[in-house]
Amino acid sequence: MRRPLPWLLLGLVTAGAIGLIALRGPARPQSTADRVHDIASTLRCPVCRDLSVADSPAPLAQQMRDTIAKDLAAGRTPDQIRAEFVASYGESVLLSPPRKGIGLVAWVVPALLLAAGLAIALTIVRRWRAGVSVAGPPADGPRPAVRAADRKLLERELARLDEEEPL
Amino acid sequence: MSAQVPAPTPVPAPAHSRRWRLWPVLAVVGVVALVAGLLSFGLGRDPTAIKSPLVGKPAPAFSLRTLDGRSAVNLADLRGQVVIVNFWASWCTECRVEHDALAAAWQRYRDAGVVLVGVDFQDTRADALAYMDQAAMTWPAVEDPGSRTALAYGVYGIPETFFIGPDGQIAAKDVGPVSFARIAARVDRLLPRGAG
Repeated sequence: MRRPLPWLLLGLVTAGAIGLIALRGPARPQSTADRVHDIASTLRCPVCRDLSVADSPAPLAQQMRDTIAKDLAAGRTPDQIRAEFVASYGESVLLSPPRKGIGLVAWVVPALLLAAGLAIALTIVRRWRAGVSVAGPPADGPRPAVRAADRKLLERELARLDEEEPL
Repeated sequence: MSAQVPAPTPVPAPAHSRRWRLWPVLAVVGVVALVAGLLSFGLGRDPTAIKSPLVGKPAPAFSLRTLDGRSAVNLADLRGQVVIVNFWASWCTECRVEHDALAAAWQRYRDAGVVLVGVDFQDTRADALAYMDQAAMTWPAVEDPGSRTALAYGVYGIPETFFIGPDGQIAAKDVGPVSFARIAARVDRLLPRGAG
């Protein structure tokens, strides 16, 4: 663990791969029903508890899906359609917080916590590895005082054992 | 070999080790304080009090047929008047609670340039007409095909009441049954001085 570079590289590559997949997202749906479902699944059903407009059986959710279908047929983009619902219901109608303003906190904090967790894990592993190396074969040069004392104690105890139980 | 070993001496803990033990504790305390703060902020709020983003904005336009099919209500035609838009339904028990307050307000303000419009929400025409007849509802009530107007007004659950000023902007929104005093306070503020 003297060289944290490979670990750092591994972490960066993993984070990069996850980020790439997250940014790219699933393949773009083609049919109108799929496009409606795609938009509806990003909207919260206003009359339900924690259900998307795509999943809710409520009549209002059905009417929202109809509205989305009509808006798509009228040539509106998914972002424009979402913006219309946000204008009426506020940003709480979006299932994912917006990537701006206070909503950014929800995106940044998990990444920061992940980074902090990685840093803590790295530190612990590093200290643990450093501790293990002390018990390994002695290096040249002066030995640490504590280890010398332990060794002396060990030798004394072994000698005592030999005296008590001669084989 | 043991002769070469120096005498054991107590090793003082390095100065930084105490700091090492302190910062995870501080981090945990910080995170716990943050979560507790957020929870106390979030749980302290009334989840039913949803602030409408439409307050202070132009009221979404609508032109809807009355339930009896005889006429239509076009919001644009009501510019310059105070308009109360009340979303209701025959199946909505809370709407029955506020019915008398709405009826009293309609009685009190209908000649003072105030229009009350009931928008029927997720209902059948037959049920709505039966309710109107039974409750003696005399203000115009319109049907909202596909709930397009309810969606434009961001309706969560009825009853919901919007107060539109003479300038065509939404001045206030009430969720749940409204009292006469609440309606009067809202309307008096919106009416030009001397009216009402």
